[in-house]
Amino acid sequence: MDEQKNATKPTANNTPSPHGKKLLCIEDEHFIGELYSRALTKAGYDVTVIIDGMEGLKEAQTDKYDIILLDLMIPSLTGIEILRKLRDSTQTPKLHSKIIITTNLEQREEVRADIEKQADGYIVKAEVTPRELVEFVSTVA
Amino acid sequence: MNHFQALRTQIRAYLIFVILLENLLIIFGLWFVLRNFDVSLEYAALGAYAVSVVMTFIITFAATDYALQPLKAIWLTILHILPTEHHVPAPDVNKLPVGRTLVMSLSAQIYQIASVAEQYDTEEEKTEKTLKARSDLIANSLPLPLLTIDKADNVLFANEAFLKYLGTAEADVVGKDVYSILDMSFPSDDTFDAWLKRSRTSTVTATKTWERVRVNREETETAMQFDLAAYYNKDNPQGVETLLVLFDHTDRYGQDDQAMGFIALAVHELRTPLTLLRGYIDAFDEELDGKIDGELKDFMHKMNAAAQQLTMFVNNILNVARIEGDQLFLRLQEKNWSSIVHKVISDWTLRAQIRDIKLEYIVAPDLPTVGVDPVSIYEVISNLIDNAIKYSGKSKRIVIKTALTKDGLVETTVQDFGVGIPETVMPNLFNKFYRNYRNRSQIGGTGLGLYLSKTIITAHGGNIWVRSKEGEGTTFGFTVVPYSKLADEQKNGDNKGIMTSAHGWIKNHSLYRR
Repeated sequence: MDEQKNATKPTANNTPSPHGKKLLCIEDEHFIGELYSRALTKAGYDVTVIIDGMEGLKEAQTDKYDIILLDLMIPSLTGIEILRKLRDSTQTPKLHSKIIITTNLEQREEVRADIEKQADGYIVKAEVTPRELVEFVSTVA
Repeated sequence: MNHFQALRTQIRAYLIFVILLENLLIIFGLWFVLRNFDVSLEYAALGAYAVSVVMTFIITFAATDYALQPLKAIWLTILHILPTEHHVPAPDVNKLPVGRTLVMSLSAQIYQIASVAEQYDTEEEKTEKTLKARSDLIANSLPLPLLTIDKADNVLFANEAFLKYLGTAEADVVGKDVYSILDMSFPSDDTFDAWLKRSRTSTVTATKTWERVRVNREETETAMQFDLAAYYNKDNPQGVETLLVLFDHTDRYGQDDQAMGFIALAVHELRTPLTLLRGYIDAFDEELDGKIDGELKDFMHKMNAAAQQLTMFVNNILNVARIEGDQLFLRLQEKNWSSIVHKVISDWTLRAQIRDIKLEYIVAPDLPTVGVDPVSIYEVISNLIDNAIKYSGKSKRIVIKTALTKDGLVETTVQDFGVGIPETVMPNLFNKFYRNYRNRSQIGGTGLGLYLSKTIITAHGGNIWVRSKEGEGTTFGFTVVPYSKLADEQKNGDNKGIMTSAHGWIKNHSLYRR
């Protein structure tokens, strides 16, 4: 658990209880990670934020997370590569984590198709506030 | 005729000689048998007759071969000069035992006639060759890739420019199926093969051009982009049915792609601080809720609305770039219309509130579900409401209504009671960059919103319109098509299980509301 970088400590639960569900946020924009972590932790999630793609993939593959928030533009490995690796059908056992793509990047058609097939949710970050993100996550999880 | 008479004499002499020899042999044989053996005359005569029958056959065969030799030589001579027979050598006339002079003179005449005919042929062939050489030269020195195909879609000819353009050899192209060589994608479903199919069934000749045709090259991960012109003629000579000419614009269209890439990147860069801005405003809002009021609370709302408006503006830029770059893809899904409108209204209520404007929504009951791309349609309604807020002036009311039209379409109107639009600017309202119809210093905006709305609504198969009276207000209206009325191919069955919110989606879920 050394790689965990909890930005804030869990505080009071004020949304329908996620019961300490584990959430991995792979996000290279430090302040966005901080904002998301703050809001999600407040809502009762056990949040880990990772900035690097390779590290994020390794952590995600441990399959101890219920939800993975995955940014697409991250260093060392792109989000779409991570998504494809995590959802690789030849891989057993299958990852049980739900994956939500969080991005601000315009998607090319073929990438969009892959995302639709392999991810469980998709949001444009600029369009949602942290509180709206929490609501979104609770609907997916 | 001398030669002929000589041949006749020769053959006669040969026959007389051979038959006399035969007769002599038989008579001598008969005499010999009667003299030396004790055989009756009857038996001897019978034997002689039998021998003569056999001899007659042998002589006939030999004589026929002999007599026909000149004819055979002439026959071979004719075969030799025929252009269709390539492997018949000229007969050696000098070795002919019979009719040599006749055959020599006849074959001399045959050769002469043939050479005259050949000269004549060559003239015609020459013309044909010149013409072919000329057309090949034209086709090959044409600086445009050119291809001809036959009725079975196979390539008959590809000029040098074409081979160079594709970086391929003639052998890899000629005789191959055109679609295997040019795997073209078109900006719309009005494709080359659809046109060709149509032309084949319904016309004798046809011409057509396409813009922005794309051929993806997997080996190099690049795309060639060109305009295509095609000419179809059912009765073209030499099996040439369709002629294709490519006008390469890879550079130009590629630049558009790059421009799109640039805008996508710029939008990404803009959205990151925007995300943070909205995030922190949200955090402030949450933490300060109930602790501030009056002016500060008002500021907070205005800040929030401004960030929201900026988000829409960024989306507008991105969408215009998508449209310009042929990259706007709609995914029509079956949706409940009023819930989409309700959601936009709830998102824009705050922005309306800070101007003391009330958004009213009147929706007719029992509307059918519609086929829309929720993200795009969200932006259309947003733009129209944003517009109405901008031009409301002192009026405090915006009325949004949805009802079914006579034609069974779902029509939504956004009505403000503000300043209205002068008649002179009405025709240009939906044009790109037609700046706002009011004083620009008073009211900001890019004029992208209406252009965008019209494009998106048209792409949905709907219609957009405006009605306005100066001083009384403006009504924008648009229609969308009920899902049941959409053609099957337009429906995107694959995405049925995806719940799309305005700017995101969740798989297999229908509860999420932002």
